[in-house]
Amino acid sequence: MDEFQEILQDFLVESFELIEQLDQDLVELESNPEDLELLNGIFRVAHTVKGASSFLNMDVLTHLTHHMENLLNKARHGELVITADVMDVILESVDLMKQLLETIRDTSSDGGVDVSACVARLDKIDGGDGNVETPVAAEAPAPVEEETEPSNSDEPDYDNMSDDDVEAEIARLLAERQSQDKAKREAKIAAGEPVPEAPPSPEEVEAKEKETEASAPPPITPSDVTVEKNSSRAEAESSKAAPAKKAQTVEQTIRVDVKRLDHLMNLIGELVLAKNRLIKINDDVEERYEGEEFLEELNQVVSIVSLVTTDLQIAVMKTRMLPVGKVFNKFPRMIRDLTRELNKKIELEISGEDTELDKSIVEEIGDPLVHIIRNSCDHGIENPDVRIAAGKEETGVIKLKAYNEGNQIVIQIDDDGKGLDVNMLKDKSIEKGLITEKEADQMSDKEAFGLIFRPGFSTAASVTNVSGRGVGMDVVKTNIEKLNGIIDIDSEMGIGTSMKLKIPLTLAIIQALLVGVQEEAYAIPLASVMETVRISTDEIYTVEGRSVMRLRDEVLSLVHIGDIFEVERIIDGGEHAYVVVLGLGAQKLGLIVDTLVGQEEIVIKSLGEYLKGIDGIAGATIRGDGGVTLIVDVVALMEMAKGVKSSINQNSSSNDAGAIKEKTTASDYTVMIVDDSKTDRTIMRKAIEPLGITLVEAGDGQEALNILKQGDHTFDAMLIDIEMPRMDGYTLATEIKKYNRYKNLPLIAVTSRTGKSDRMRGVESGMVEYITKPYSSDYLSSVVQRNVNFKSEFLS
Amino acid sequence: MSDKLKDVINKQSAQQDHDDSLTQLDDIVQLVGFIIGDEEYAVPILSIQEIIKPFSWTRVPQVPAYVKGVFNMRGAVIPLIDLRLKFGLTEQKHNDETRFIVMKHGDEVAGFVIDRLTMALRIKKDNIGPAPDTINAEDSLIDGVGKEADRIITILKPDKLLQRDF
Repeated sequence: MDEFQEILQDFLVESFELIEQLDQDLVELESNPEDLELLNGIFRVAHTVKGASSFLNMDVLTHLTHHMENLLNKARHGELVITADVMDVILESVDLMKQLLETIRDTSSDGGVDVSACVARLDKIDGGDGNVETPVAAEAPAPVEEETEPSNSDEPDYDNMSDDDVEAEIARLLAERQSQDKAKREAKIAAGEPVPEAPPSPEEVEAKEKETEASAPPPITPSDVTVEKNSSRAEAESSKAAPAKKAQTVEQTIRVDVKRLDHLMNLIGELVLAKNRLIKINDDVEERYEGEEFLEELNQVVSIVSLVTTDLQIAVMKTRMLPVGKVFNKFPRMIRDLTRELNKKIELEISGEDTELDKSIVEEIGDPLVHIIRNSCDHGIENPDVRIAAGKEETGVIKLKAYNEGNQIVIQIDDDGKGLDVNMLKDKSIEKGLITEKEADQMSDKEAFGLIFRPGFSTAASVTNVSGRGVGMDVVKTNIEKLNGIIDIDSEMGIGTSMKLKIPLTLAIIQALLVGVQEEAYAIPLASVMETVRISTDEIYTVEGRSVMRLRDEVLSLVHIGDIFEVERIIDGGEHAYVVVLGLGAQKLGLIVDTLVGQEEIVIKSLGEYLKGIDGIAGATIRGDGGVTLIVDVVALMEMAKGVKSSINQNSSSNDAGAIKEKTTASDYTVMIVDDSKTDRTIMRKAIEPLGITLVEAGDGQEALNILKQGDHTFDAMLIDIEMPRMDGYTLATEIKKYNRYKNLPLIAVTSRTGKSDRMRGVESGMVEYITKPYSSDYLSSVVQRNVNFKSEFLS
Repeated sequence: MSDKLKDVINKQSAQQDHDDSLTQLDDIVQLVGFIIGDEEYAVPILSIQEIIKPFSWTRVPQVPAYVKGVFNMRGAVIPLIDLRLKFGLTEQKHNDETRFIVMKHGDEVAGFVIDRLTMALRIKKDNIGPAPDTINAEDSLIDGVGKEADRIITILKPDKLLQRDF
C-alpha cells in the first residue's frame, strides 16, 4: 500500500507539472494550429497521463485521457483542424483532467467526477470527422512492448519461482536494461550525435521546440526526426529513454520536502540573530579595549562570520525561490477564456517570467493577479468597436511583467484600455457611501485610484460573471499587504492603466528601521519607509484636531507612535522630533518618534497564539542584546492613526508631577536623600526625621534614578549631594528633569562645594536650593519644610 | 531447586511491589506549588517547561494589564502574564523570590509571574476535591482543591491559563 502511495505521489507530481505547461501550449496551439511540434507535445501529455493512470487503475481518468488522446492524434495527423470550438472542448477536457487529478490527490481515487458529457463531446468531434479508426491508441503502446519483449523472451517460468527469486530476477533485468540504455547513450555520444542532456522529457521537448520554432527550420536532432516522421516511434523512443532520464536527473535536482526548507530557514533566522548579537558585542569590546591587538583578529572573525551568514541566508533563500512564471502560466488560458466570454480581443504579453520569488509568496500572488487581470479585461480593455472608434488597435494588449528592483520584486500589469476616470471613481464612491464629498474634494488622483481597492467598490454597472461584485480588488489589496507588499496604480484616461505590485523577496527576514520612543523601541519594515525628517515641534500644526506638517509641497498628517502604542510619556521629547514618513501605495503618514536607532536586518517571529492579532503589531524580533522588539504593522497603523487625536503639543503641561495627593499625616511626605557618605545621610536623616517625613536613601545618582524609575514612592523633594561616584548630583538633576512627572520636583543640593560656578551649575541642572556643608539641622529642616509645602499642623 | 524456587518467589514479589508502586503512582498527582498574594496555588509538574528568575521583557500595547509583554527565551518570543494582576491583586515589585514559571500546553507556551515558589507536591487524588460549585466548571481556571495536612492548595488548569481570554 505504501508503495502504491509512493507511485501515486510521483504520478501526481509529474502530471501536475505536465498540465501546467499544457494550458499555455494549448492556447498557443489555437493561434498556430499547424504547429505540429506543439501538437505532439500536447498529445504526449495526454498519452503519458493515460498510461500512468491505467497502471494505477484510475479508470475514469484513463477513459477521459484516452478520448483526448484519440482526438489529438487525429489532429496530429492532419485529419482534424483545430478550430476554436474544438479547442473549447479540448480545454474543457483538460480542466476535467485537472479536476480528476485533484480528486485523486485528495482521495486517492478518481471517483465522483462525471466525465461522460465531455467524453461524448470529444467523441462527437472525433466521430464527426468521419474516420473513427483509433490509430495510435493501439499502435503507440505496441512499440513499447516490442522494446521489452526481446528481453522478456528468454525469461524462465515466473510461476515456478519463489518471491526472492522473482526479486532477484527483476533486479537483474533492471540492471541489464540500465546498462543497455547506458551503452546506447554512450554509443550515441561516441558517434558524435548531440545527446541533448539525456533524453528529453516531454516538457523539455516542448521548451526546445518553442525555442527553435522562432528560428525557422528547427535543427533536427535525431530524436526530433522520429517525432516528425513517425510519432509512434517517438513514443517508443521517449518511453524507452525514461529510465535513463531518471538516472540522469537525480543527480541534478532533488525534490525536498518544503518543511525541511522551512526548518532550514528558521535555523538561518537564528543564525542571523546570533550574528547581530556578535556584531554588537564586537562593537562593545572595541570600545572598551581600543587599540588592543586581539581586536583586529576578533574583527576579522566577526566580519567573516557575518559575511558567511549573509551568503548562507541568500543561498537558503534561493532554494526556496520559484520562477514567477509558475503563476504566469495560467494567464494565457484565462485571457483566452475571457476574450471569448466578453467578446473582446485581448492579447497577453508576458515577460520576466524567470524572475524568482519565495515559494510562499508565489503561492500567494496567484489570486491577486487573477483579480487584477480579470479587472483589466473587463473594465480596462474596451470593446473592439469602441477601440477602433478611439483610433486604437482593435486588439487590446495586457502586459504582464516581473522584474527585480532593489530588494523587491515588481510585478507590473499594464493595459492599454480606457484608463481610470477619477471623477467617476469619486462619484461612485460617494454614491456607495465609501467616502464623503469633502473627502472626495481633497483627494489627489493617486488617492482616487486607490478607491478601487475599497471593499464594496465596483464600477461595473451590472454584475457579470467576470467582475462587478466589488470584492475582487479589495482581496487584492489585503493579499498583497499581507505579503508586506504595496500596490502602485497609475492611469491615464484613454491611454491605459498600469499597476505595480511591489513585493519583498522573502517573508522571514526583512530590513527594518528601528525607532525609539521613550524607553521603548519598535521596528518598522524598511519597505514602507519613504524617508525620515527631523523637525522642530513648531513645525507641527493642528488641523481639525489632527496634527499635520508641511513636507515640501504636501501636507502630511502626523501621529505620535506613543499615542498608537499607549506609551507612557515619561521623558520629555524636547524641541525636536523625528518624523518617519510611511508610504503604502498612495497613502502617506508621518510617524513621530523620539529617536532613530538605525537600520537592521531582523528576523520576523510570531507573537504566538496568545498574543496574535494585536492591532498595529506584525510580530516581534530578537535584537542583538537579546531583548525583544516589536515590529510595526504599517497597514494597521495607518488605519489606527485615523482614530488618534492629536496630543503632540499638549503633553508638557498636562501631567505635571503626577497627581498630588492630599497629605493627611506627616509621613505622607516623602523625601529622598542622595549622598555617597553614610555619615552625611545619617546627619540629614537626624535633621529631618523629627518632622515625621518618610525618608528614602540612595548611595549615588544611579541608585537614586533607579528608585525614581521604579515609582514606588511619590517624592516631594530630594536632597542631593554633588560629589558622588557613578553619577554626580548635576547629572542626576539633569536626568530627573527629563521626566515630565518630575519637572516640578524640588531638588535641593547639599554640598561642600561653595564656589559660585558650582552654584551656577546647580541652577542650570535644575536645583532649586543650594545648601552648603556644614549646615545646622534647623536650617535643613526649614528648607525641606518650605520646599515640600509642609503643613504646619503636622508640627508637634 | 529450593534456590530456584526462592528466586521465582522473589521475582514474583518484586513484581508485586512494582505493581503496587505503579498503582500508587496512579493515585498521586505531582504538582508544583507557588504563592500569589496570600494563597497557595499549584499546577501539574508536567505542564511546567522551566522556572526562571525574572528578567527584562518588552511591553506589548493594547493588551490587558496582566499581560506584561513578551520576553526572549532562547530565541523564542514568549508572552509574560502576571498572575497577581490576573487574579485581581495589585501589582507588586519583583523581588528575590519572584519567579517566571514557563508553562506549556500543546504548542502554547507562556511565562507566568508568581510571587514565590513553595515546593513540589505529591497529593493523593483522594485528597483533591472539586472546585467550589459556585464556579462555572467549564470556564474556570481552577481544576480542583488539594488538601494537605495544614493547608488548602488551589490547583489550576494549565490549558485555561494558556488560553487567551481577551
